Amino acid sequence: MSIFTICKAIQDSSIGTQLRESTYLWPAIEGVHLLSLALSVGTIILVDLRLIGAVMREEPVTDVIEQTQPWTLAGFITAFTTGGLLFWSEAGRLYPSNSFRFKMLFIFLLGINALVFHSTIYKTVDKWNNAAVTPFRARFAGWFGLTFWAAVIFLGRWTAYNLK
Amino acid sequence: MNLLPLFQWFDATSIGVAIRNSTDIFPVLEVFHIFGLTVLLGTLTITDLRMLGIGMKRQSIATVAGQLAPWTMWAAAVTIVTGFLLFLSEAMKCYGNAAFPWKMWLLLAGILLYLFVQRRITAPGARVSPVQLKAVAVLSMTLWYGVAVAGRAIAFV
Repeated sequence: MSIFTICKAIQDSSIGTQLRESTYLWPAIEGVHLLSLALSVGTIILVDLRLIGAVMREEPVTDVIEQTQPWTLAGFITAFTTGGLLFWSEAGRLYPSNSFRFKMLFIFLLGINALVFHSTIYKTVDKWNNAAVTPFRARFAGWFGLTFWAAVIFLGRWTAYNLK
Repeated sequence: MNLLPLFQWFDATSIGVAIRNSTDIFPVLEVFHIFGLTVLLGTLTITDLRMLGIGMKRQSIATVAGQLAPWTMWAAAVTIVTGFLLFLSEAMKCYGNAAFPWKMWLLLAGILLYLFVQRRITAPGARVSPVQLKAVAVLSMTLWYGVAVAGRAIAFV
């Protein structure tokens, strides 16, 4: 059984069909997915901007990261839940879309980026917490995050235009 | 006042026609519109959460608001410019749309609140009560998320 067949089955499931054919629920879920960007990607961008030294240069890096974390988490839970439901409703159409595939790949890479950042250079944050210009590996994580999150948003909106 | 001639004029502008006749310009503008919205709503939300006293409390209100303001302004510029171009390309569709006037009034109120109230009461040394700060923050979030909801609703109503 191919992945496409599985996606088609997800789309054709009773929940998938009901979501897709609902008058209000689908637009509501899509609206919440969009609004959740403000908290999820919005707060992540703030952290990335601090890492590259573009905002809050005089505030400790840990202050920016720790204080945005709960909001980022809430934003991501909302984004993933609503995104999962949207996928459920049209999995068979989304799977062949290149912009959707790249969006998923980039989100995966961003996860790796965050994981590497937190498990390596961030361990030594005490040494550069108050530095306006952070070490190269922290700046790299920041630039990587900014670039690929922007790409994820672009691809997400673009996906709606290239579904068959 | 009858706004129909104005909308017809916008709809017939050469820029509006050019965007309408192209397959790619509209989606590209839309993509930048959404990206601008993410940064705009994101930075405003953090500022509002700080004013409510439930986010970034280790920094002062003036620091959070002041540091984020340039990003809010740039994001607003990107979102509004791309939004205006999108509007030109489908002004007549917007004219008959029930959500569009809501979006415009909420947007106007949000801009005025930000520039003339929020910026002032979050300035360093501003004398303002916590209740006022919280009221403005709640109003700000209501207006700006209202703009986004009304904007998304344009496509569905």
